[in-house]
Amino acid sequence: MRVRVIGIGSPSGDDQAGWRVIDALATRAIAGPDEIFLEKLDRPGAGLIDRFAGADCVVLVDAMCSGATPGDIHNLSRTDWAAYRGGLSSHGFGVFDALALAQALLALPPRLEVYGIEIASSEPGARPGAAVCSAVERLADRLAGLLNGGI
Amino acid sequence: MSESRNVTIRVPVLARVEGEGALDLTIEQGDIKALRLRIFEPPRFFEKFLEGRHYAEVPDFVARICGICPVAYQVTAAQALETLFDIDIGPWARAMRRVFYCGEWIQSHSLHIHLLAAPDFFGCGNAIELARIAPEEVRRGLRLQALGNELMELFGARSVHPVGVRVGGFHATPSPERIDALRKRLAAALPEAEALVRWTAGMALPPDAQDFVSVAMRHPVDYAIERGEIAASDGLLIEAAAYPEHFTERHEPHSTALFSSYCGRPYLVGPLARLNLNRDRLPDDVQTLLAEVGFALPSGNVFHSMLARAVEILLALREALRLLADYHAPASPWVDATPRAGVAVGCTEAPRGLLWHRYEIDADGLVRNARIVPPTAQNQARIEEDLRLSLLNFGLDHADDALRLHCEKVIRNYDPCISCATHFLRLNVSR
Repeated sequence: MRVRVIGIGSPSGDDQAGWRVIDALATRAIAGPDEIFLEKLDRPGAGLIDRFAGADCVVLVDAMCSGATPGDIHNLSRTDWAAYRGGLSSHGFGVFDALALAQALLALPPRLEVYGIEIASSEPGARPGAAVCSAVERLADRLAGLLNGGI
Repeated sequence: MSESRNVTIRVPVLARVEGEGALDLTIEQGDIKALRLRIFEPPRFFEKFLEGRHYAEVPDFVARICGICPVAYQVTAAQALETLFDIDIGPWARAMRRVFYCGEWIQSHSLHIHLLAAPDFFGCGNAIELARIAPEEVRRGLRLQALGNELMELFGARSVHPVGVRVGGFHATPSPERIDALRKRLAAALPEAEALVRWTAGMALPPDAQDFVSVAMRHPVDYAIERGEIAASDGLLIEAAAYPEHFTERHEPHSTALFSSYCGRPYLVGPLARLNLNRDRLPDDVQTLLAEVGFALPSGNVFHSMLARAVEILLALREALRLLADYHAPASPWVDATPRAGVAVGCTEAPRGLLWHRYEIDADGLVRNARIVPPTAQNQARIEEDLRLSLLNFGLDHADDALRLHCEKVIRNYDPCISCATHFLRLNVSR
């Protein structure tokens, strides 16, 4: 199985959450049976769909703001996508817009896991807050366990 | 529906190049009483931010102006400064700048056609709906867009706000192995681009011939992208430095973007203006293809802009392939620059049209003053004129939703940044 784990983020404060999960996973000893690719992306837009090619499973991790407590980890199902869709513009083509487009194009991977880490602020140049850093480690542990057991 | 009705259509959130705008339309007694494309985004002050900056910072700084066409800003700035500093960047860097630029045209045009403009012509509200009825065409568009992004990444390290260009050339040299791998993919994409031209040519477009002046760069040999003089369809042909003598900018109270005019009139910049002025610079077989699909140039129908973008994707692929043939890495991808005081002026053809830069540089190489005229500002008055003419041609007796959609279609033809904004529109109608 080919598994691609993608962290989406930016260098701005808590918005680094997705990237930091990838960094944290890279430090974990993962000895599962799957071929694993780790990748960090910044606003991939519709280009996210390209990254699904050839993958049996894709795990997406992004920061999110839903009003929940910063540091909460959400596992988002397909029924959640519509609530987070944007305006389908060149500047606002978000992760869930890309997933909806991939679905219409029958380009979704056989298995897709979408995780969101609730964040508080995304100040340019700031470090992520303690709640988000803690969530990054928890989610990295959870994903490492998943990957060690085989997808 | 009576033609004497009074209609007010307000489109209050119509963002533009990374900004915000709106459309106000008032129809009284069957006539357009007011039509305003309001650009209300606060000024971004990029020109002011540049003051006091070292010339070497300028290419990276101006790349931040636009996430879709950063290469245009970088190359225009670098070339303006190189002209002032009397630097010859050499044949390798000149050719690779054009290749880099081709990548931006391919990605920007592909994005605009498939994700923004085409859904209008299939009765779809967005690209996802279009993907359900034309999946192969949307997949093809995404492949072309990705290929354009890869060309940009090749020279700029990343496709959004790339960092490859420097005054004097490039910071780094792509390896021949990477070039070779990409050339194969560019060649494989040629039939896809040709199919895209046929697809866009087959769309049912509103007949809407208008009389306007096209303004675009023109080169003695090539289809002008990054080099050439400024031409207009009335015969004007000037160097970049003479731009302010012929083109004026004015402020209108309803917009934070300046309105441009030429001889007191709006004018068109962008892919259709380029094709209108440079048809004879297209390769023979591309001209044959245009004749085959019935694309007669010059065209006064701005709805042909989407087809023009498809043609330019095909052209950009061919240019990139031509310039990357027999690729050899140079000893150095840049030449050293020595600043000199003076005025640096330059222009290139951004995906959305003519982009003009002017910098006053002091003896220490610091920017004293900067002026940047982007294509969106130049097209703003033309969009208003087009909306008025196009609505009258379309018929004011249509239902409000149809009028609004027609206005959005017109706006989307000009600029992917405005196009993206129009997808956010909320419409208030009062009678």
